Amino acid sequence: MTAIPKNASSRPSKRAPEVDTTDHSVHALTPYRVISVVLLIVLTILFIFPLYWIITGSFKTQQAVNARVPVWFPVEPTIGNYERLFQKPAFLWLFNTVLLCAASMGLTCVSASMGGYALAKKNFRGRTFLFSLFVCAMALPKQVILIPLLKEMAFLKLHNTLWAVILPTVGWPFGVFLMKQFCEGIPNEMLEAARIDGAGEARTFIDIILPMIKPGIGALAIFTFITAWNDYFLQLIMLNDTDVLSISLGIAKLQSELSTDYGLIMAGAALGSIPIIIIFLLFQKFFTRGITMGAVKG
Amino acid sequence: MKKLLALLLCLMLALPVFALAEDVEITLWTYPIGSWGNQETVDALIADFNAAYPNIKVKVQFIDYQTGDDQVTTAIEAKTTPDIIFEGPERLVANWGAKGKMLDLTDLFETEAGKAIYETVAGSCKGADGKYYEYPLCMTTHCMVINKKAFEAADAMKYIDETTRTWTTEGFEAACRALTENGFCPVTGIVYCGGQGGDQGTRALVYNLYSGHFTNEGFTVYTMDSEENIKGLEKLQAMVAEGILADDPGIVAGDAISLFCNGTASMCFCWNAALDSNNRATLAENVEPYAVAFPSDDGVPALDGGIWGFGIFDNGDEAKAAAAKEFIKFMCNDDAQAPKSVYATGYFATRPMGDIYTGTEKEGNTAYDAFSPYFGGYYQIAPNWANQRTEWWNLLQRIFAGGNVAEEVAVYISKTNL
Amino acid sequence: MIMAQTAAISQGMKAARRRENIAAYIFMAPSLLFFLGFVVFPMGMCLVTSFFNYTMSDFSFVGLANYQEMFGDAIFIRALINTIIIVVVSVPITCMFSLWVASIIYKMRQVNTSFFRCVFYLPVVTGSVAVTVVWKWIFNNYTGVLNYLAKNLGLIAKNVNWLGDPNTALWCIITILLTTSVGQPIVLYVSALANVDHSLVEAASVDGATSMQTFWRIKWPQIMPTTLYILVITTINSFQCFALIQLLTSGGPNNSTQTIMYYIYYEAFKLNRYGYGSAMGIILAIIIALFSAIQFRLAKTDNG
Repeated sequence: MTAIPKNASSRPSKRAPEVDTTDHSVHALTPYRVISVVLLIVLTILFIFPLYWIITGSFKTQQAVNARVPVWFPVEPTIGNYERLFQKPAFLWLFNTVLLCAASMGLTCVSASMGGYALAKKNFRGRTFLFSLFVCAMALPKQVILIPLLKEMAFLKLHNTLWAVILPTVGWPFGVFLMKQFCEGIPNEMLEAARIDGAGEARTFIDIILPMIKPGIGALAIFTFITAWNDYFLQLIMLNDTDVLSISLGIAKLQSELSTDYGLIMAGAALGSIPIIIIFLLFQKFFTRGITMGAVKG
Repeated sequence: MKKLLALLLCLMLALPVFALAEDVEITLWTYPIGSWGNQETVDALIADFNAAYPNIKVKVQFIDYQTGDDQVTTAIEAKTTPDIIFEGPERLVANWGAKGKMLDLTDLFETEAGKAIYETVAGSCKGADGKYYEYPLCMTTHCMVINKKAFEAADAMKYIDETTRTWTTEGFEAACRALTENGFCPVTGIVYCGGQGGDQGTRALVYNLYSGHFTNEGFTVYTMDSEENIKGLEKLQAMVAEGILADDPGIVAGDAISLFCNGTASMCFCWNAALDSNNRATLAENVEPYAVAFPSDDGVPALDGGIWGFGIFDNGDEAKAAAAKEFIKFMCNDDAQAPKSVYATGYFATRPMGDIYTGTEKEGNTAYDAFSPYFGGYYQIAPNWANQRTEWWNLLQRIFAGGNVAEEVAVYISKTNL
Repeated sequence: MIMAQTAAISQGMKAARRRENIAAYIFMAPSLLFFLGFVVFPMGMCLVTSFFNYTMSDFSFVGLANYQEMFGDAIFIRALINTIIIVVVSVPITCMFSLWVASIIYKMRQVNTSFFRCVFYLPVVTGSVAVTVVWKWIFNNYTGVLNYLAKNLGLIAKNVNWLGDPNTALWCIITILLTTSVGQPIVLYVSALANVDHSLVEAASVDGATSMQTFWRIKWPQIMPTTLYILVITTINSFQCFALIQLLTSGGPNNSTQTIMYYIYYEAFKLNRYGYGSAMGIILAIIIALFSAIQFRLAKTDNG
C-alpha cells in the first residue's frame, strides 16, 4: 500500500481513459489486436451471462427452470416467482441493506476524514504508533475477530440489529488510511495562513480541509458502499430475525433444505442486484473515479 | 348476598388469570416442520392461541435447516435466544439441552395429555440427566419414494411388495439395473451427500441393506463399523461404480427431492408424509410418487423416525417461561387445538388422537401411518451428534470417491465415538 | 511535565503542544472509538481466547493446546493448502487478465472503453450472493447450462458434476472468484495506462521499438505501483473469499474446497469450538501479514 504511483499522484485530476491521439497503434489492425477484440467479445458474453440468467430465470416457470434442455428465454414468462418472493419481506430486506450501507458510508466518511486529517497534519503524541496500528489492522480478515465481535455486540445489546454490522464496518481502518493520504497533499502553508487569520480548529477543518479532500471523500463513500453491500459474512453472523435481514442474507436463505427453487432464488437475486446495477450505470463515472482515486492514494 | 358471594368466588377464580394478565411477549422460532414453516398457517394457529390468551403476544421467527443451527448458536452466544423453539430431540435434548441452555419441562409431562404420550416418544425427549427438554407434538417415520411410472416402464414394480410397501436388497439392486437399462428417468437414485439435513435417508439406506444398526441399543456408541454396515456401504459403492446408482456430493436432500419431482431421478431417499403433501404441486407429468420402505436383506426394514416438539430456552425470565408453557400446553394439549397443530405438520400425533387426515386435503398422509410399525428407535440423541452429522457426509463423500470402505469407516468411527 | 517547568519559553511551547495534542485527539476520537472498539479490542480478545478451551459450556485455560491441535489436524492442513492454492492461482491470473483487458480497451474510443469497463465490473456490483447463486445453477449437474453446452459442443462425454467432484470443485470456485475480482483491477489499469508518460512512448517508437518492447520497457515500469496495489488487494480478497464456499460447497466434497476462512466458521458455529476457531484466526492473520510484508518489501525495493 506504499505503492503510490508518483506520476499519478502528481496529476490527480487527470481522468482515466482520455483518447490518446499521439498513440499510433490506435487504429492499427494487427492480427493480435483482432484476435484480442474477438476474445474480448466472447468474454463480454460470459460476464453478462450470469446477469442475463438471473433476470430471465426469475421469470421462468418451474418446469422451465428445471428443464434439462435450458430454456434460453422464458417463452411463457411468469411473475409467480416474484409473488412468492414478496410473501417474504423482500422490500424490507432491500431497505435494510440500503440503510446499513448508507449509515456505514456516512459514518465512515465523517470519522475517517477527521481522523485522516489529524494523522496527516497534526503532530501529536502516539501518532506513529496509532498509524502503524491502522496499517497493520488493514490486512486483517474480519472473520478472524468474529467470535469476540459477536460477544461484544451481545454485551452491548446490539446483536441482531443493523448496528452490529455498521459499527465494525466503520471501524475498518482503510478509510482513515485513505483520508490521511489525501490530507497529506494539502500544502502546510494553507493551514498556516488559516491559523494566522485566527481560524479555529473546527473552522480550518470545515472551510479549508473538507473542500480540498472532497474528491477523496467521494471515493471513500463509493468504496464503503460497495464493501458494505458485499459484506455477506458480517451480516450472516450478526443478523438473525427476518425483519433485520439484508438482501444478501435473504437471498441466501431462500435456498431451503427441502427444496431448491431456482426461480424464486433468481427473483431474489434480481431484486438484490438490479437497483445497485442501475445506480452503478447511472453514476459510472463516479464509481470509476472513486476506485481509481482510492487506489492511487491508498 | 349470594350473588355477591358468587361474584367474589368468580373473582377469586379469575385472579390467577388476572395475575397473568400483564402483557407478555414471547418469541417462537420454528424450523420448517410441515407447514409450521409457512407464515399463513402459523399465523392462524397463533390467532387461535390469542383468542384464548389475548395477553400473550407471540412473535414468530421462521428459520431453516440451512442456516438455522448457526442462528441458534449465535443467539445462544449473544443471549438473544427465543423463548420457544420447535424442533426435534437431537437438537433440543442432545445438543442445547445437554449444554444446559434449556428449561426442564417435566411438569408438562405430568398433565393429563402429557401422561398419554407414547413411552418411547417421551423417553426420547428426556436428556441424560433425567430432565425433559422437549414436549413432543408430532412424529413420523422417514421412508423413501419411487416414481411408479418409471418402475412400471422398467417392469420393476415386481420387486416391491405392494401390500407392505417393502422390498429386499436384491430386489433394489435388480430394480436399479432395470431402471438404468430402461432409461425412463436419466438416473435411478441419487445418494446426495452435499451436507445439511436429510441425512436420515442416507443412513437408513445404508444400515437397512444388511439389517445393521446405526448405534448400539442404548444409543451411546456409533456402530457404523459393524460387518453389516460395512457390507451395506460396499454394496452402494459397487452399485455407484457399476453406474446403476448415482452419488452426488454436490447436492443436498432438497435438490434430490426436486430432481425426483421433476422426473430426473426415479427414486429419492428422503421422503415422508409432509414432503408428499408439500411437493404435490411441483410434480412433473411423468412422476407418480409411491412411498416405500428402505430395502433390506430380510425385507423387514427399521425406519428412522422424527419426533418434533417444543423446547423452552432458559432466558432467566419467569413470566416469559410461564407464558411459553401456556403456549405449549395450548398447542399440544388443548382438545380442539392439538389436532389442528398436528395437522399443520402433516405428521402424526404423539399420543392417541384418532385419524385427523381422512376427508381433508392431506388425505394421502394417512397411508404413511402404515410405516409406523417399522419405527426402529430414536437414536439421534446419541452423544456428539452434531459432529457425527458432518462426519457422516464426509464418510459418504470419501467412499464414493473410491475410498476403502473399512478404512474410511474406521476414520469416521474414530471421530464420532469419543 | 511538572519537572520540566523551567523556562517560560518552553512552557509556552508545551502549552501549544498540548493544545495540538488535544485538538488532534478530538479529531481522532470518532475513528479511534470505532477502530479500537470494534477492531482492536476484538482482535485482542481473539488472541486471548485462542489459549482457552472455549465452547458453549466450557471456558478453561489450555495454553498452546489449540495451536498444537491445529498442526495435527488434517482438515486444517487441507484448508491451508486450498487457501494458498486459491491465492497463488487467482492473484497472478487476476493481474495478468486485467492487464491484458486493460491494454486492449484503454486505447479504444471513450464509449467503448466505458462499455467494457462496465461489463467486467458488473459481477462486483451484482453482489457476491447473487453471483454465487446463479453460478450454482449454471454448474448444476442436472439442470445447469454448463453441462448442456459442454456436452453439445462435444467437450465432455457425459455430465460432469462440477461442484460435486473433488477434482473440479476448487477450480469452479476459483473461476467464479476470478469473475468477481477482475473488475477493479481493470479500472485501475485502464487509468494507469492512460497516464503513462507519452513522450517516452513516442521516443521509443521513433527509435523503432516494437509495441511489445515499448510495453515492457516503458509502460510496465510506469504502471508497476498500480500492479503492486492490485496484488495486495487481490491477495487480501482471495484470502477472504467466504460466501462462495459457504453457498456452493460448504467446504466439500470431502473437504476439497475447505478453506481456512470457512473452517474457522465451521469450527466456531457448527461445533461451537470458539477457542480453536480463534487460534486458527490468529494463524491466518499471521499468514496474511507475511504475504503483505513480502509485497510491501517488493514495493519498497521497486520505489526506492
